[in-house]
Amino acid sequence: MNKESIFESLPKREITRKGFVKLCGIGAGTLAMNNALLKFAFGQDNVSTGRTVKKIKGLHDLVAIKGDDPYAITVKAVEALGGMDKFVKKNSVVLIKPNIGWDRSPEQAGNTNPYVVGALVDMCFKAGAKRVNIFDNTCNESKRCYENSGIEKIAKGKGANVYFVDDWNVVKAKFSYKSPMEGWPIYRDALECDTFINAPVLKHHGLTGLTISMKNLMGICSGNRGLIHFDIGTKLAHLTDFIKPDLTVIDAYRVLARNGPSGGDLKDVLDMKTIITGSDPVLCDSYAAKLMGKEPLSFSYIEQAVKLNLGNADILKADILTITA
Amino acid sequence: MKKLALIRRLSQVFFLSLFTYMLWVTPHAALFFKIDPLISIFSLFSLIMLGATLIIGRFFCGWVCPLGTIIDACGIKAKNRNTGFLRKVKYYVLGVIVIFAFLGIQIAWIFDPLVITARFISLNFIPSFTLAMDKAFIFLIKSLNFYAPLYDFYRMLKLSVLGTKIFYFPHSFITVSFFVIICGLALITKRFWCRILCPLGAIYALTARFCLLRRHVDKCIHCMTCSINCRMSAIKEDSSYRKEECILCMDCVYDCPDLATKFSWPRKNTGRQAEGSISRKDFLFLIASSFLLLGFKSKEALDAAKKLIRPPGVLNKREFLNKCVRCGNCMRICPTNGLQPAIFESGFSGIWTPHLIPEIGYCEYNCNSCGNVCPAAAIPKLSLADKKKQILGIAIIDKNICIAWLENKECIVCEEHCPVPQKAIKSNDEFFNGKRVPKPYVDISLCVGCGICQNKCPTRPARAIKVLP
Repeated sequence: MNKESIFESLPKREITRKGFVKLCGIGAGTLAMNNALLKFAFGQDNVSTGRTVKKIKGLHDLVAIKGDDPYAITVKAVEALGGMDKFVKKNSVVLIKPNIGWDRSPEQAGNTNPYVVGALVDMCFKAGAKRVNIFDNTCNESKRCYENSGIEKIAKGKGANVYFVDDWNVVKAKFSYKSPMEGWPIYRDALECDTFINAPVLKHHGLTGLTISMKNLMGICSGNRGLIHFDIGTKLAHLTDFIKPDLTVIDAYRVLARNGPSGGDLKDVLDMKTIITGSDPVLCDSYAAKLMGKEPLSFSYIEQAVKLNLGNADILKADILTITA
Repeated sequence: MKKLALIRRLSQVFFLSLFTYMLWVTPHAALFFKIDPLISIFSLFSLIMLGATLIIGRFFCGWVCPLGTIIDACGIKAKNRNTGFLRKVKYYVLGVIVIFAFLGIQIAWIFDPLVITARFISLNFIPSFTLAMDKAFIFLIKSLNFYAPLYDFYRMLKLSVLGTKIFYFPHSFITVSFFVIICGLALITKRFWCRILCPLGAIYALTARFCLLRRHVDKCIHCMTCSINCRMSAIKEDSSYRKEECILCMDCVYDCPDLATKFSWPRKNTGRQAEGSISRKDFLFLIASSFLLLGFKSKEALDAAKKLIRPPGVLNKREFLNKCVRCGNCMRICPTNGLQPAIFESGFSGIWTPHLIPEIGYCEYNCNSCGNVCPAAAIPKLSLADKKKQILGIAIIDKNICIAWLENKECIVCEEHCPVPQKAIKSNDEFFNGKRVPKPYVDISLCVGCGICQNKCPTRPARAIKVLP
């Protein structure tokens, strides 16, 4: 009795063929609209063919400087190269890409020296930059990396925008030649800047031997970055070609010589007190490799970059200025 | 002018907001548990709370308790019923908890109101709220191409409210349903949970029986308004009241048509005292009922508890189960979202205890936050140097999945990320077609089992390196 009464209280509605088709139509329509809306909202992944830049040449091919104060020698090195005005135009947007990969203190040399980054920010603003962006796709938890590396505090104090990466704000890489990096998601801000300053730290790395400026570009890649490690030489060379950094400033003030790239033991850190700058990333990496007593062409990514004609790995042919401050 | 009732509402909202704020932004949420006598009976703050209850009454339930506030809000339109003798149930709940405590098993986590609220806020409210906010911002920024000012604001929020990571907890459905049921009971009658089930309320009720502040009615006209409206069903039909049930919500003061009801300090000849709530028969029944739950001590449950990777510093896993109150503070603070609530992985007695799932997040080498926020010291408070020595598990490489071993590809992402200064993952070079291929292996003497190798391992769907507890 009870059961019947419950069913009777429901509104009666007969199902006809027409009604059924109509219902299906409405359902499918709603789904499609929903999909379209979601795609409109979240699904815009643009494609980019990389940065288009004029190659700016400094007064020298490369400047290496040795001194006690990381801030002062960075300023001096860039001045010897022709000054920041050469690279940064008035009212332009500058991206400084330091290495903030690890939750390590500056003394442990896992990240770029904060004073080197600070000096670059100051110089960019002096040259008339409108905006200086700083970010890195970190390996450890990003907030802790930004804090403990000291970079966030110093760069923010000098007026730069230090922020975390957003995995939804990416573009897909497109190459004119066949590349294993085809379609890789790259953070949009790395491409939408007028000047790209690469500020890596020189340190040991298990797979590649040394991580310098080209390896530092992995920090602008999103996605499952571990997969870049397979055939890393070619991939880094193509990535460098895609980004074409305008200026490379290698921090070799403290150098992690063993157990990189994260390190942690102060015994593994060498005091080299050197800054290397130049506009040719391959030459900078080659010089840094030589500094560590290694043959540049023994590194797969330098070898591949030379094959692609991205730069010069022959230090003897380059115009190099060495200063001791 | 319902001045007192208004102040009570403000106080409730204030404490609920404070509680949420402390969980959300600060790492000091453990302070709130220090005033909870059910969890930390011997802390100075809970003794102060009990002392204050002895003078004023059950003010905590009506003015402070965040769960009480939410239950009040849920029951705002609910009918008020007389629940009668059911109010005794909460003493049984408390009794079972106390008896279990003497047996060495801690089950306060099931019923403690602060724990229930904290768990809901940490594991459900904050993740879903931040997710919704994040998606809304992404929608605005992406679809309207609103890159400059709004995007900067969004990035600023990521530093504070949003956090760098949107947290995610699988099985959060169970947590949310538990909470919704407790609050939903308020639809049956107002403050159902507080009247009938809450063991913390029972502690305060037992204390409040002797309190000094009392309700007085001068020249009662027996209109029964206060008795019908009382949210705790504390007022009897003859306008006297059960003192231990009153949570000082002050509604009866304003419900009284003659404004004859007042709360004041004791006068002479105050009439009858509050009647006793527990008889000898009740007590025997209580002891008998508590043995129903002895399944907690079963051996399988304890063995199962050992299969999980526990937070750093937890050595005795049995003791950990007994100390942990399942408040979710550690899972809220874990920067990588790696600490997750267990459901039935470690048996019923291990439900909602934290364990590390390296594929969601790893244990950050330089971080000891979880020990610092634990209100029950289940995760020990360790200095950073001590924490780095804690061993959570051991990593093992599966050579049938690892692309370096199986396909001779360059990888060793695990070695790259290993946070131990001497590198617990080492590699031997082998050469294939003139190419150097390093093959990783784990140095067991150095591995701390933080799980970053498993987290970063690029193989999908299964990871080639796993941490075993």
